[in-house]
Amino acid sequence: MAHALQIVHGRDRSEVDAPTRGAVSAALDLQFERGASGTTILSRSRQEPPWRVVRAFPLPDGSALAHLHNVSGGLLGGDQLALSVDVGPGAEAQITTTGATRIYRPRAGAPAATQRNEVRVAENGVLEYVPDAIIPYAGSRFLQHTVINLAPGAGLFWWEIAAPGREARGEVFAYESFAMELDVVAGGKLVVAERARLVPRERAAHSLARLGPHRYWATFYICRVGTSAAEWMRVEQELRETASELSSSGVALWGVSTLPAHGVVVRCLAVQGRDAIAGLHLLWNAAKRLLYGRDAIRPRKVN
Amino acid sequence: MDGRANIPENAALTELRLLQLCDTALPIGSLAHSYGLETLVDRGLLAVPDLPEVFATYLEETGTLEAVFCREAFRLGQAPRREFAADEWVALNRRLSAMKPGREAREASITLGQNFLRCVLVMEDLSVVRRAFEASRFLAEPAEIHHGTAFGLVCGALGVEEDRSIAAYLHQQIAGLISACQRLLPLGQSAAARILWDLKPSILRAVQRSAHCDAESVYCFNPFVDWAAMEHPALTTRLFVS
Repeated sequence: MAHALQIVHGRDRSEVDAPTRGAVSAALDLQFERGASGTTILSRSRQEPPWRVVRAFPLPDGSALAHLHNVSGGLLGGDQLALSVDVGPGAEAQITTTGATRIYRPRAGAPAATQRNEVRVAENGVLEYVPDAIIPYAGSRFLQHTVINLAPGAGLFWWEIAAPGREARGEVFAYESFAMELDVVAGGKLVVAERARLVPRERAAHSLARLGPHRYWATFYICRVGTSAAEWMRVEQELRETASELSSSGVALWGVSTLPAHGVVVRCLAVQGRDAIAGLHLLWNAAKRLLYGRDAIRPRKVN
Repeated sequence: MDGRANIPENAALTELRLLQLCDTALPIGSLAHSYGLETLVDRGLLAVPDLPEVFATYLEETGTLEAVFCREAFRLGQAPRREFAADEWVALNRRLSAMKPGREAREASITLGQNFLRCVLVMEDLSVVRRAFEASRFLAEPAEIHHGTAFGLVCGALGVEEDRSIAAYLHQQIAGLISACQRLLPLGQSAAARILWDLKPSILRAVQRSAHCDAESVYCFNPFVDWAAMEHPALTTRLFVS
């Protein structure tokens, strides 16, 4: 009983550390640097299958866009993926996925699929991480642990979208567990320590204190280290106006709040995934204008 | 047997002090906060029949989170003054701030925590509590002292039993939220008392859960409540500060 309590409310180390026969352990390291011309280049890329980044595409504002591919289509039970991203001083990078990240049902006894992300953004660099949703299949278990370090002047736009499962197949909250852990250290101060975990069989997702009638949830962190608290209050108020226009009871709810320092967080609860994605793009653009005086550039997608 | 309790004087004194510390009448301002409940009522998303389930879920998630931090602060409070880990105290409070996404709810917790320590120091000059108060003011900018950590610290310094302290903290937290609902919803005194009575097992389960995780690994998934706390500044008419 005590162990069960620990698994629901505190991280179960056996899920994270146990290697599994046949499971994949793979790393992807990306390093972006500001080139002599002022544009950002992907200066280093170390890739292990199933990770794949074909190349970085230059964007009109001088930043570089990289698409993350997972050639196996998703994560299987026991898979341990690691993503490391370095954005150099003054460099500006945008990372997206080529499609939804699927978390497949594991074999019996297999531990959770895990992904560990380590991100560092150097002085006055910017990282925009705008992936598609994560879709946990029935029976799947997933843990994502992310640590982001932001140097003075560094900027961050980072969102995550969690789907309830394969809705078209009637798989709604049929997964075993889904955990998102995220730490953001900005200018040496811990400003985000998100520890979200949903175990639908043991803790009802539709409780009014959890998701209520909604099926999707998204979190969007927007940071720029060194921006004053007064300025963040202004950003909060401006973004809240956009959030209020997006909110509609029974469809999607949007909230905006300043972090303890250096940023704001946007939270979305939505019935349909498309409402979450559309709203995130609107708020991303609004925040980019407020903080950098220019529009966000939506990543080109094949699909 | 003459029916009189035979309680050692020190234990009885500690018990009475605990009763006062978790009384919502303690002058720290706890009745001014709804932690987002006002938003839910304003938007027509929360009604009286929802309350027992909402509070039970709240205790499973936020209650466990608060209990973990209360417990860690309790253990810091047990240290002799010279061994008090000021850096750990500051980091613990900073971490709790980072786990609270709603600005008003976070600031409410900090305001109550600071008021709580000030109030305690007026009543009794506990050296560890004074050291913690000073550390937060001088080592952290801005000072961050949360209500749950302040409560745990003081109980540790006073020698209250650990689980009893955490249960008392959660009990007064939920009592405060139910009190807020009495001002927001057609919830009568008897019905409110019944809800609090029925939630006691949930409180004890949260205390039990909190013993199995720490501040780094504890999970909390209350996104609807988080949203409500984040949206509270947008309300045009407000009874509560948060």
